[in-house]
Amino acid sequence: MLTFIVKRVMGLVPVLLIAVILTFLANQAVPGDPIAALLSDRSGDAVLEARLRAAYGLDRPLLEQFISYIGGILSGDFGLSFRFAQMPVSQLIGEGLLITPLMALAALAIAFPLGVLLGTLAAIRQNSWVDTGIILVLVAGISIPNFAMATGLVYVFALQLRWLPVAGWGSVEQAIMPLTLLIIPTAAYIARLSRTYMLEVLRTDYIRTARAKGVPERVMLLRHALRNTMVPLLTTVGIILGGLLSGTFVVETIFNIPGLGSLAIQAIFARDYPVTMAIVLLFTAFYAGINLLVDLSYGLLDPRIRVGGGGR
Amino acid sequence: MAGIFSRLSAVWHSDLALRFRRNRNAMIGSILVSLVLFVALFGGLFAPYPYDRINMAVIWEPPGAEFLMGTDALGRDVFSRILIGARISMLVAASVLAITFVIGVTLGMIAGYFGGWADTLIMRTVDIIFAFPELILAILVAAVIGTGTGTVIVALSLVWWPGIARLTRSLVLSLREEMYIDAAISSGTHPARILLRHLLPNIASPLIVRASVGVGFIVMAEATLSFLGIGVQEPTPTWGGMIRDGLDSLRTDPHLALYSSLALGITIIGFNMLGDGLRDLFDPKMGER
Repeated sequence: MLTFIVKRVMGLVPVLLIAVILTFLANQAVPGDPIAALLSDRSGDAVLEARLRAAYGLDRPLLEQFISYIGGILSGDFGLSFRFAQMPVSQLIGEGLLITPLMALAALAIAFPLGVLLGTLAAIRQNSWVDTGIILVLVAGISIPNFAMATGLVYVFALQLRWLPVAGWGSVEQAIMPLTLLIIPTAAYIARLSRTYMLEVLRTDYIRTARAKGVPERVMLLRHALRNTMVPLLTTVGIILGGLLSGTFVVETIFNIPGLGSLAIQAIFARDYPVTMAIVLLFTAFYAGINLLVDLSYGLLDPRIRVGGGGR
Repeated sequence: MAGIFSRLSAVWHSDLALRFRRNRNAMIGSILVSLVLFVALFGGLFAPYPYDRINMAVIWEPPGAEFLMGTDALGRDVFSRILIGARISMLVAASVLAITFVIGVTLGMIAGYFGGWADTLIMRTVDIIFAFPELILAILVAAVIGTGTGTVIVALSLVWWPGIARLTRSLVLSLREEMYIDAAISSGTHPARILLRHLLPNIASPLIVRASVGVGFIVMAEATLSFLGIGVQEPTPTWGGMIRDGLDSLRTDPHLALYSSLALGITIIGFNMLGDGLRDLFDPKMGER
């Protein structure tokens, strides 16, 4: 088991290294001179220009810049913002650092059991009106993009009924709509998979055996069937989280939430490359870390994966 | 003429067509998709105004006889823009599908059929791209080469081909051991001919299913990028961009956001239902529900 863990953790290194190289190169590919943009009206001031160039490390050779870029990242220093002179990127994104992963994880924590519940319900009542109804809701939940859904939600609950605030962040009421928008597509996706896996499991021999020997339906579902749908479901948590991270970009933009997603979008428009790239790196690391945890956890659940060394 | 008619009639009464017509998802999906494709191809003919005609005298007109779906902040006709938006959406989807299938199927077949270092190189690249969240890669591309329609196509193709390559490789791997491939090899058939004439037709149907499911996701991804402002740029109308513009004035003028959300929702639901239906038809294992 230990070698399995070590092997998987080492597998992260090339991915993160490539992410670091890509973001560094993207920072270099900036169209125009960021220092000139910062100087703007004081463009003749050679002393200030030299000082800024030194502060941003742009006066050093490329390789040296790259080494200090990596060193900085390892100690939580993502360089300085191009938009706000000499403001550290880490300070700028500090607030969002908690909001976005927390929102994504909270949505996952609610969507996962909700999705499994809906999927299981549809599967055990296959082809009934319950199944048909759930499937219709799922198709809509998966197909309608969350920003289109947001249009409807905001219109009804914030503008017509006035139950919920239109935007903002900080109170429970303000978190309801953003979280709902993250949960709906996620739960729908999980429910669809869960229904498929459950239908497969219900057709297996060991379920027929359990039924034949008189195991009560409820016990059979919980102890035998549900458990065996969990491994394939867990393997998709990575994909689901990828979708949730994309969702946070949209939801944060709509509701003016000061998270990493909306910061990244603002930074793209302000050509604040160090901020964009820092957020790209953080998201990649977060995503890779979660996928690692998922890998490890289904290694624990399914011994075949540990021994066989993974069956991609 | 009679020949064509009897051919059509044979197709209509064939087993596959019969099962297609009995499949609810496939039928509803294909009707919605036909509608969207018709609008994408010919919608321009029905547009009452040029999509980019600005008229500051009629800003934020509500839906009515003159402007069927009202006007936007610049007095442009929303109905005309939604019609043209279908064309942009389908254009991006078709480009991304074409690019990713050419790259993904070619590389996937090479990796699966030849194995060895080519397989390792291709699959390592695929793994690395998979390690990034999709939208993050798209944002990286947008940050480096700037925003616009081309960026959307490049970014989504970059994100999309690895999945196609992986699917193709696994399909080829499972067919490579078949007797007819052995027969082709031992009778000295050129590898390129084996790939194109013997393997490709046999892996086509799962790839077609993948494509029809893929369109829904590509349309959604393009709309998301355009909604965030890093996709297709003004004055070209896109549903994602129109929803963003409409969201700001939802309180006073909800028609812009609501109609464009509806257009986008119908399109993606249509492609997803068609994809689900085709999967039921082509994949007997999943079809026996």
